[in-house]
Amino acid sequence: MAQKIVIDPVTRIEGHLRIEARIEDGRVAEAWASGTMFRGLEIILKGRDPREAWLMAQRI
Amino acid sequence: MERSMTLAEELAVRGISRREFLKFCTIMAGVLALPVDRAEKIARALESVRRPPVVWMHFQECTGCTESLLRANRPSVAELVLDILSLNYLETIMAPAGHAAEKSLHDTIKEGGYITIVEGSIPTADDGIYCCIAGRTALDILKEVAANTAAIITVGACAFYGGWPSTPPNPTGAKGVKDIISGVPIVNLSGCPPNADNITATVVHYLTFKELPALDDLGRPLFAHGRRIHDNCERRGHFDAGEFVEAWGDEGHRKGWCLYKMGCKGPVAFMNCPSIRWNEGTSWPVGAGHGCIACGAPNFWEMPAYEPVPIHVLTPPTTYPEVEPVKEMSPITAGVIGAAVGVAAGVAGAVAVSQIAKKEE
Ligand code: SF4
Repeated sequence: MAQKIVIDPVTRIEGHLRIEARIEDGRVAEAWASGTMFRGLEIILKGRDPREAWLMAQRI
Repeated sequence: MERSMTLAEELAVRGISRREFLKFCTIMAGVLALPVDRAEKIARALESVRRPPVVWMHFQECTGCTESLLRANRPSVAELVLDILSLNYLETIMAPAGHAAEKSLHDTIKEGGYITIVEGSIPTADDGIYCCIAGRTALDILKEVAANTAAIITVGACAFYGGWPSTPPNPTGAKGVKDIISGVPIVNLSGCPPNADNITATVVHYLTFKELPALDDLGRPLFAHGRRIHDNCERRGHFDAGEFVEAWGDEGHRKGWCLYKMGCKGPVAFMNCPSIRWNEGTSWPVGAGHGCIACGAPNFWEMPAYEPVPIHVLTPPTTYPEVEPVKEMSPITAGVIGAAVGVAAGVAGAVAVSQIAKKEE
């Protein structure tokens, strides 16, 4: 019988992660991992002084 | 958990000596800019206090603030987590995950009276979908947690005003806690990240005096944000002498001269980094040779990091900052000081003072 397991939040990591798995006969048949947080650093960095890129990117 | 034990009992169980404990209390009095004899009051209050429950919310963040706290050397993280705070929910270090983790949060909310620490901004664009935990938006979760909390401590620039995620064009509509929540005491431990000693000292102040520390008009604790970096910087002598670093690695840089021309924001930044320092009190960014980026100021990402900041005081001050920081200067006081300086130092002094007054208005 198919069953679905969801682990959200995944703890002891940096960031936000959700794991979903579809179980069939006691085994994982399909699994999905999603990062559930987005800030858009790539969009923000566009057009800025390149010397500042490391300052902001180290804060991902 | 043994939540019925007082801190004194727990310290005894863990074999932490009274001497060590008193040393910690004295350091906390120092960070809080309190007279040393208050250390005793802190010690007495902490000994009888029961660990307050704390929930630590992660929203749009980089975990840098958590890292900053985990690097706390006084008390060590183990002491802080186990003895002073009862961290019921902190995703980065808690053992349970998924439903079990959420249960800890919901149980704490139901009981009420907890302290909430928020790290990270809250996205508000597109119904808040840019940060979801356990299928709910950060916006929803924050409102629920705030409804039953005793106080909120925001850690870091992101939870304070939105931080870098809120930098134009702010793709996710990121905001700080104070822009969303009202009616709850909020203290903003600004800084990107904030110093662990300031986080600890704020909690100690709350436990000792049963209230949050005195705040400035941005809701930041005055003990941490009352003084200008530039006025307490070890390179200040070089600034006054006109000795500036002109390029990375040049002779002036090697000699430890002033970093103003390399973009140092010390003249407009109000933080206690020069006195409490980082990495077990050993160094701080300016000490290590890079200009201050004013990470405790709102919207600091909009100040070009490597361009000199416009400065209003071109000559050394005629007086030095007071021990208790003056929060606001009335136009009349500014006028009187302006006149006095004008007489003493010529018209230029008066112009400089009126510019400061204008900026602070
Ligand atoms: S400009 Fe920066 S490096 Fe220079 S004295 Fe001021 S705070 Fe220190």
